[in-house]
Amino acid sequence: MSSSRRRLLAACSWVFVALAGCGYDWGQFIAHPTVEDRVRENLSGRLHAPGPVAVNPDSFSFAMFGDPQIEHDNVNNLGRLKADVQTKGIAFFCALGDFTEHSTPDEHDSIVKDLQSVGIPYYATIGNHDLFQSDGWEWFKTTFGPSCYPVVIADRVKLIFLDTADGLLGPTQFDWLESELGDGGRYIKIVGTHFPVFDGPEPTMGRMASTGERFKLQHLLQKYGVHAIVSGHIHGWRHTLVEDVNHFICGTMAPGGLDYGSGKGYLLFTFAHDSLAWQRVEFE
Amino acid sequence: MLATAEADIVASQFLKVEAGISFNLFQHNGLGAAALGVGAVAYDPVGLTLRLAAQHQQWNDWQAGENRLLATLTAEPAAGLRLATGLAWRAPVFDAERYGSPFYWCTEVPERNLLYRVEWGFVRREQWQASGWLANFDRFTVHNPQQIPFGLRGAYNLGREWNLLGRCGTAINGLSGLILSLGEVAVEMGVQREF
Repeated sequence: MSSSRRRLLAACSWVFVALAGCGYDWGQFIAHPTVEDRVRENLSGRLHAPGPVAVNPDSFSFAMFGDPQIEHDNVNNLGRLKADVQTKGIAFFCALGDFTEHSTPDEHDSIVKDLQSVGIPYYATIGNHDLFQSDGWEWFKTTFGPSCYPVVIADRVKLIFLDTADGLLGPTQFDWLESELGDGGRYIKIVGTHFPVFDGPEPTMGRMASTGERFKLQHLLQKYGVHAIVSGHIHGWRHTLVEDVNHFICGTMAPGGLDYGSGKGYLLFTFAHDSLAWQRVEFE
Repeated sequence: MLATAEADIVASQFLKVEAGISFNLFQHNGLGAAALGVGAVAYDPVGLTLRLAAQHQQWNDWQAGENRLLATLTAEPAAGLRLATGLAWRAPVFDAERYGSPFYWCTEVPERNLLYRVEWGFVRREQWQASGWLANFDRFTVHNPQQIPFGLRGAYNLGREWNLLGRCGTAINGLSGLILSLGEVAVEMGVQREF
């Protein structure tokens, strides 16, 4: 064997070892259940969606964040959220996917304990990291329920969670979303999902993939007067107002560095006097 | 996309004007996109050409449109191998009264994207030719950085200046999340006349 072939073989071996050793099930990058598969299962009625939490109907606050993304060392910032629960009067929180880095059983156990340790109810939707193992979808739906569902809080604020773990919505989810949005203006509506629609003037690869889907989603958000769409995936903070729709990339609970923005943290919504206000809460 | 009409006007050996228009049927009925560009040959042996173009694309059912400026460098370093790279400035418009205007460039979400194209013409006969492409832009569209579009296209010569064009393509989506999936397969047909 020539030296060049030996070098090529060695390089390929190193790449294989590196890929196998980083903890991902690489086959899932292609063989995962598609968004259409997951949404149809969500809408089949077989999965139990979490119901509305009990809050003071005149005034309540809730937090939204993305990407706890814990690894084997279980480092995350949920403890800092827990510290804010009393001081800021947070009634519940919404976690927008990427609960763990590798979606392994150890990480699953850790994140569920950490989410519960915050001590208040929560809602969840799915992220791409949650599908990084062959049992990722099974774990998510048996732990949290469906990945797209609505919930109405205090008969006034409607939260609609979307499944964008693939960076796509798909036609079935679009049809379902439009049926959920058409409530005649009864509710203040917030959409929560993993991938953002917009990502600034020099967008990273981390926003929704299809121009057609992004523009159709923006059209529906405008048409039905959605107050805000909140997303994660990109570990940063961004607020953009597009035709009266607030687009938030809401910050991260991940231990690692941010892609951009001003520190780790979450987005805090407060409902009072029949209107909804938002505030960025940044960890030191 | 139901139909496209494209015109390439070679004003001189070193200057080319490109124009096109497309119409949709079944979805987003009506005008789909329009484009106008000019290309100047900088180095003829490899066909190195600087192109400046403006595009307008609209999605009538969603009352959304996008206007774009493109600056690209293209070259054909080997027979049948065409390469391009450049920059696009994009202005999405979601205003229900202005999305259809190619002259309205105000937007809340402007953005810049890198452009690329690799195209290999693997068959070339007297009457027809075919090529495979990997590109995030064409005459009417700029795709998102999160997609890797690819496909095939062919041309059949109908007469001295007229060509029948066909193109099919899809895109790999979800790159940033590593959860990959293929997008819809788009099939386009059109005619081209060279003046």
